[in-house]
Amino acid sequence: MLRWTAIIVTSYLMLFGKGRVMDLHLSYTLIIIYLLSNVLLTFFPKAWFSNLKLFYPLVLFDTAIVSFGMYLSEKMTTDFYIVFFLIIIFASVSRNFKLLMVIGGITALLYGGLLYSWGLLTKEEGSSYTLRIPFIFIMTAFYGYIVQTLTREKRQELTISEDKYRGLFENANEGIILLRNHQLQIVDVNREVEKATGYIKGELIQKEVFDLFPPEEMEKARDYFKEVAEKGEARTDSLSFKKKDGVSTEVDLSTKKIDLGEESFYQMIFRDLTDQRKLEKKIRQSKRNLEAIFDGIRDQLSIQAPDYQILRVNRAVIERYQTTFEKLINQKCYEAYFQRSQPCEKCPISITIETKQPATSIMKSSENNTTMQVFSYPILDEKGNLLSAIEYVKDITEEQRLQEQLIQSEKLAGIGILASGVAHEINNPLSGIIGMAEIALEEEDPTKNESYLRDILNCAQRISEIVKGLRSYSRAAKKEELCLVDLNEVLEETLKMVRLVAQKTPVEVIKRFQPIEKIEANTGEIQQVFTNLITNAFQAMDGKGGELVLSTRPLEDSIEVQVSDHGMGIPQKFLNRIFDPFFTTKKPGEGTGLGLNIVYRIVTKHEGTIDVESREQIGTTFTIKFPIRRAES
Amino acid sequence: MSRKILIVDDEEVIRKFLRIHLTKLGYEVKEAADGEQAIKQLGGDDFDLLICDILMPKKDGWEVIKEVKSDPKTKDIPVIVLTAKNEDTDMFRGYDMGANYYMTKPFTKAQLLYGLKLMLKETPEEIRV
Repeated sequence: MLRWTAIIVTSYLMLFGKGRVMDLHLSYTLIIIYLLSNVLLTFFPKAWFSNLKLFYPLVLFDTAIVSFGMYLSEKMTTDFYIVFFLIIIFASVSRNFKLLMVIGGITALLYGGLLYSWGLLTKEEGSSYTLRIPFIFIMTAFYGYIVQTLTREKRQELTISEDKYRGLFENANEGIILLRNHQLQIVDVNREVEKATGYIKGELIQKEVFDLFPPEEMEKARDYFKEVAEKGEARTDSLSFKKKDGVSTEVDLSTKKIDLGEESFYQMIFRDLTDQRKLEKKIRQSKRNLEAIFDGIRDQLSIQAPDYQILRVNRAVIERYQTTFEKLINQKCYEAYFQRSQPCEKCPISITIETKQPATSIMKSSENNTTMQVFSYPILDEKGNLLSAIEYVKDITEEQRLQEQLIQSEKLAGIGILASGVAHEINNPLSGIIGMAEIALEEEDPTKNESYLRDILNCAQRISEIVKGLRSYSRAAKKEELCLVDLNEVLEETLKMVRLVAQKTPVEVIKRFQPIEKIEANTGEIQQVFTNLITNAFQAMDGKGGELVLSTRPLEDSIEVQVSDHGMGIPQKFLNRIFDPFFTTKKPGEGTGLGLNIVYRIVTKHEGTIDVESREQIGTTFTIKFPIRRAES
Repeated sequence: MSRKILIVDDEEVIRKFLRIHLTKLGYEVKEAADGEQAIKQLGGDDFDLLICDILMPKKDGWEVIKEVKSDPKTKDIPVIVLTAKNEDTDMFRGYDMGANYYMTKPFTKAQLLYGLKLMLKETPEEIRV
């Protein structure tokens, strides 16, 4: 806008000025150039105006044209253009507005004095000359104001920009050091540098950069800066700084050569690696710990990829297969361990690969007659994808042998209890036989003997029954192999024997047997289960009596057996412990605490389940489910 | 006056031959098939001797002994335990509870009579064997 006004005024002066222009063509050319330049300017982006390199020539150009226009219009008859030119120069050069005003005032007075001395003020055109004096002053003020405003804005922008970059510089998480190219002297450092080195800024400025490195790394540091000088930039993470307290700090350092104006600088940016190194050390240590645990476990451990490739094995595996780590690695597990062409049956790894869930199974090796329990556990990534699976192989041969032994010894103990029960049971009829026989011997009247002999016979038959039952019981106890077992039959026989022991407890036994399939089981062991449960039931009802309900019923793929009593019940707090070995509430000598544990072991061995429900003073119900294994047709 | 003996046993055959033996020996014999009956009979009659089984329905021999020995009216009646429980612990328990003689089944007539005369403090002459 300002320029437009200036153009119009200048053009007017040139065209209609007092002296008229001699060279009209020159005037027109000037006006056109001026106009065009202005039109061109409107297309310039605003940012260019704040560029001083562009702005000052523009102002100079404008001033020249306006002055020249004036010169042309007045044809040297006036000195006005010189004065105007002076004003512009003052305004441009001056940075201080007040000073400019003083200079403007003095100039105006000088000019006035000059005109007066020339006597121009008193002539007839004096008034027009007199007007020039305040005009000069106003013009000076006007131009001065424009220049001042522009420079102030410029300065403000610079300050903002400076603050912005200073903030970035100071608050950067990386340490930044600015070096003068010459002698690699430190010019500026940020706060992070102070933190990392322990020096304060004042101590670092003017120092040579090599003072920052410990003597033993000086060689390396010099090589590094040589490289920076050659390539313009370089990065290293093998150098360390010597802190003020003498401790070395490893840093990840990158240095770049930059040009700022005339001079070139090195900009060093570094990150303190102390924490990272600590973390790395921790990770390495924790890896070593894990490896030690891995190898220290005497059971076999291996990590397999989802395609069954062995990724890692522990020492136990190497020892077990008498091979080397290298021979196993990247092999498929079934190939390496078992010389198979596909995964083993019942392999828990297959289940884990499929379900991403832990799995376990018992695998028997016919080769060396061992039994292994194999556990597999998934290793997942953050998104829950399966990375690999840990396989844990536990040799349970010994454990199983001990378990068998335990069951066997409990069985023997059971037989012992039974034997004493049986002996007691036999003693009653035996007493009858002896007593009656003695009477018969003394009896003089032979007709009476018939009744005595009948009593003797009855007693003998009772004994015979007991012995028969005992024989079938012990026969079953001896059997080790699996055969088809009718659970109803076993329950019936067991009940008979247990009643002998717990004979006098007034218990009403209710049998609810449904027709059921035979299951494949070890008769002796099943009998042991029922013996223990029924004995417990009788004991629970000791003294108080009640009902014992034995029931069987077929389910879809299992057979359910329930032993239910109306006894004292099991306190809630003991319910989850009753199957634990040696857990007992009975007095010492009355129970071993193994009864229900044996029941649990035998049921689990038959792949069945056992549940207990109990309420104090109301009764207890044990529910066992044995799976039916139908031959696949 | 003949002496009165109460036989408590749930086995009928045992009661029977005891009765035959003891009646022949001149004793007055009463019988009870369980502990409850025994207590009832003891309350209604005076006995000189109690022969008691241990394992019986309703009320067992231990309880009978306890009640007999805690009642001032009956506590002086000698008690013979006659049981199939033949373990030492049971015998000690019996004596602890106040039983006067412990006899295990099976037994012979001679054994029985030895216990009897001991308990009734009878001289051998008084017993006709």
